[in-house]
Amino acid sequence: MNCKELVYLLGDYLDGSMEEHLRAELDTHIEMCESCIHFRNTYDKTRIICRQVQLNEIPEEFRERLRSFVTAKGGEYSREIEKYRRMAAEDRRKQVESLLRAFREQRLSPSLTLLFDTHRDRCEKCGAFIRTLNGGEEAKHVPLEIEEHLAEFLDALPPGEEPFRA
Amino acid sequence: MHAERLLDDNILLEELRKGSSEAVEALFERFHGKIYGLAMSILKNESDAEEAAQDVFLTVFQKAHTFKGNSALYSWIYRICVNACLMRLRGKRRQETVSIEEFMPVFTEDGMHASPVGDWSKEVERKTLDKELGTVIKKFTEDLSEKYRVVFVLSDVEGLSNEETAQILGLTVPAVKSRLHRARLYLREQLSRYLREGKTA
Ligand SMILES: [Zn+2]
Repeated sequence: MNCKELVYLLGDYLDGSMEEHLRAELDTHIEMCESCIHFRNTYDKTRIICRQVQLNEIPEEFRERLRSFVTAKGGEYSREIEKYRRMAAEDRRKQVESLLRAFREQRLSPSLTLLFDTHRDRCEKCGAFIRTLNGGEEAKHVPLEIEEHLAEFLDALPPGEEPFRA
Repeated sequence: MHAERLLDDNILLEELRKGSSEAVEALFERFHGKIYGLAMSILKNESDAEEAAQDVFLTVFQKAHTFKGNSALYSWIYRICVNACLMRLRGKRRQETVSIEEFMPVFTEDGMHASPVGDWSKEVERKTLDKELGTVIKKFTEDLSEKYRVVFVLSDVEGLSNEETAQILGLTVPAVKSRLHRARLYLREQLSRYLREGKTA
């Protein structure tokens, strides 16, 4: 372990996510190296003081203007709540449609392919329906029950990855 | 409806979906400061941040029925905020930012510190966080390019976990860690130079 490696690993060292044997190596180096002790202290201090900095407080005038805006728009929203509910239902329908289209065109991401394949292989609700899509070119009418079921499947997907390739 | 009940994410969302004005108010009270602060640190401009904050609330109203609660409410709202800001940044001329490379630590060929490192950590402790230091840190942060700044603000200023920051920004956890580490190295060096020069001045 040298100073360069130590500096590289400092983040993990300080947040406690480092493996024991590496930590021991770092500790050994730090005990003998004054510059690294200082580097660690100041790096850690940097983290700590930045958390105390109030980066940007909202000016009073902005706050009140934003409050009026949100109250007004919130009022409009409340009056049109049915419209938003319909929009959400529409969104879900479209998502299921894209899932099935991407499936037919083999554009599912690798992890979604895996998840979706394992799911439909043993699913009593959608398995049979999906099998009728296999190899088909045309979009089929999706029964409401299955649409709802697939929307739930999509909701439960882990975030962080685009499910379909463009 | 007791106001404290609205502190619960699920109840707040449920009430919002019914169009409750108390829920709108509670949403505003809980999040406007965070949203504005985050928007300011990305956009660095008050009126842009104000408009982005408006976008965030509109999006929350529009998507309240679609949001399924797979992530925490604040993390969903932060994500909306980051997206709103990035949309606003697009098409804008990028402000000049410092080159972070100039502030990375320097090592000899065999991986030793190229020059001895000083320790100002105790000094700052005694000073607590005075206003001047706060302003200086803010300035240093603003000089960072957006790529590092957003990660730094979410993780080190807002105190989110690396996983949450990764989810909000659509990055991997290792990418978040690496950007965060470089941002800290940069700030550490900036602070060192500032405190060293302050002493000699
Ligand atoms: Zn060392």
